Amino acid sequence: MGVLLFAFGIFLVVESLGMKVYNSFLDAPGFFPLILGIIFIVFGLVMFIGALRGGSVEAAKNTFTKAALTTLFLNPQSKRVVILSFFMVVYIFGLIGRVHFAIATFLYLFVTFFYLKSTTLVKNIIISAISALVIGAVFQYVFKIPLP
Amino acid sequence: MFEAFAQQLALFGSAASQAFGFPQVFVTMIATVAGIVVGAIPGLTATMALALLINLTYSMQLPVAVAFLLGVYVGAVMGGCYSAIMINIPGTPSAAATALDGFILAKKGHGGQAIGVGVIASFIGTLFSIVILIFLTPFLYKIALKFGQWEYFLISVFGIMICGNLSTQSTPIKGWVVGFLGFFTAMIGLDAVYAYPRFTYGSYSLMGGISLIPALIGVFGISEILSVLQEDVPYSIESQLGRVLPSKDMVKDIVHTAVRSGLIGCGIGAVPGAGEDIAAWVSYDVGKRRSKKGHLFGKGSYEGLASAETANNACIGGAMIPLLTLAIPGSPPAAMYLAAIWLHGIKPGPMLALESPDFLYLTAITLIIATFSMLVFGLALVKPMVKILKINRKILMPIIVPLTVIGAYAGNVNTFDIAVMFVFGILGYILRKLNYPMAPLVLGIILGPTADISFRQALMQGQGSIIPLLGRPVGIVLMVAIVWILFVGIKNSRLQKDDGSISAA
Repeated sequence: MGVLLFAFGIFLVVESLGMKVYNSFLDAPGFFPLILGIIFIVFGLVMFIGALRGGSVEAAKNTFTKAALTTLFLNPQSKRVVILSFFMVVYIFGLIGRVHFAIATFLYLFVTFFYLKSTTLVKNIIISAISALVIGAVFQYVFKIPLP
Repeated sequence: MFEAFAQQLALFGSAASQAFGFPQVFVTMIATVAGIVVGAIPGLTATMALALLINLTYSMQLPVAVAFLLGVYVGAVMGGCYSAIMINIPGTPSAAATALDGFILAKKGHGGQAIGVGVIASFIGTLFSIVILIFLTPFLYKIALKFGQWEYFLISVFGIMICGNLSTQSTPIKGWVVGFLGFFTAMIGLDAVYAYPRFTYGSYSLMGGISLIPALIGVFGISEILSVLQEDVPYSIESQLGRVLPSKDMVKDIVHTAVRSGLIGCGIGAVPGAGEDIAAWVSYDVGKRRSKKGHLFGKGSYEGLASAETANNACIGGAMIPLLTLAIPGSPPAAMYLAAIWLHGIKPGPMLALESPDFLYLTAITLIIATFSMLVFGLALVKPMVKILKINRKILMPIIVPLTVIGAYAGNVNTFDIAVMFVFGILGYILRKLNYPMAPLVLGIILGPTADISFRQALMQGQGSIIPLLGRPVGIVLMVAIVWILFVGIKNSRLQKDDGSISAA
């Protein structure tokens, strides 16, 4: 993490120095991001040195072995989060805006309930359909909020 | 003196007529019940609920919106105690300390009375903090009026530093890193002084900046949903509820604790970004050390339960103090309240006393109504609430995802904001897994623009030199405080490392 922060800090410094200076450097748009960049470099160094002293290099080496990475990605929790995030990606970036909100929501809920084994198939269809319709109707007609 | 008092009394009267009007009282009561339900269900937090509900207040009049949001806030913070006591899973993070004694009492068959004590303690805590809010805030307005750009910059940095220090159980550097990441997020978009595009890379969507509400919904909604659904652990509910209303002696026993915890909760609430969970833990710890029956804490003590529950609710009034005087929220749910009142044209800060002088009292009186509603409904709904706890989270949590989508979209009617929400949700989830706290990130996004503009303008006022700024008294206090927090944080980090190496050895 320390290395990432350090690299991010360097990126901020470089980007900030490339920003236009109008009257003086002190009120330039890049001045505050430059300070943030320096702060991130310092934090990155502190964390990196702390990690070196704490034996994190050895831990990192162990983490990035094939066996450790396989265990991490086959861990049920990680798998579940990746799959649930994937359903969200499809819902947000693939369905919303392309199909009607209620249909997109129904599909998302149906697939997610099915994957999580939340309930029986029939109940799944009923709950997904009712939820999609009620959410859409309540927000659009009761709260007068536009749907995506 | 008398004139000023009469003026404040007139403002109080004006605010009371707004808060007690129709449908405000009704909305407050309904919202409080909704908040209790939300708070009771594990995984649904006060912050998440408020983030999702902000957009519903668009079409509401200001007093109704205030009633709606504060009702949910007060109800949700207390509601967490139901699940903490009955299933040993805090409904909200602020109820974690409540579970220590509450669940043991529930296992002994005293769950009903434990909830009763929790509700009464929450009632005392919230009322206590509202009294402090009413009497302290007008004085703080006067102090805040003396703040210049330099002080605003320093208070923003102070907010990030203290919040980062308090909100993490790991090293404070993690809290600070997240806080400054929030500052960076606020830098994205057109610069407020020259309208120069920063970190936008030609994207028109990014030029408008990262909107606060979608980011908040992502951090507290999506990441929470993923955190809850990653586990596949069912929980069981203690079926024996027993009597709900605590006896007079029991109430007498907790009054002393409640007053002490109310003070602690309100004080911690006033610290930028610290939040209800920290208040509860600190109060529980102090209670354990100060009480004559401290040895019973953690073994089913009503006093221990009251210590935590009073403090987390007392945090609400405390969190409103920096919010109203400096536009710095004292807790994550208060940050949502700040975002909501901004939408309604209220600009908290020292000028609020001149621009909307009755808003302080509107907030305080609405909080009082919500607190009484919480007491009545909190005690009346104990049995139905225990049934609500049986709701299947694997059905409930996915249904919240479409709500987060609508919440993110509705503000600017822009699908880009939905993407922002999702990205922040994933970022929030990863940071949580790495033990990075979320409160400093929110505070950073809120305070980022103030820190940026104030710092640049202060330096320009000092004609490029920091030396003239160093002599300002409030600035000196803030600088000393920042250095002190930095010193304590680094010291604590070292101590933690030493402990870690000793235990590893």
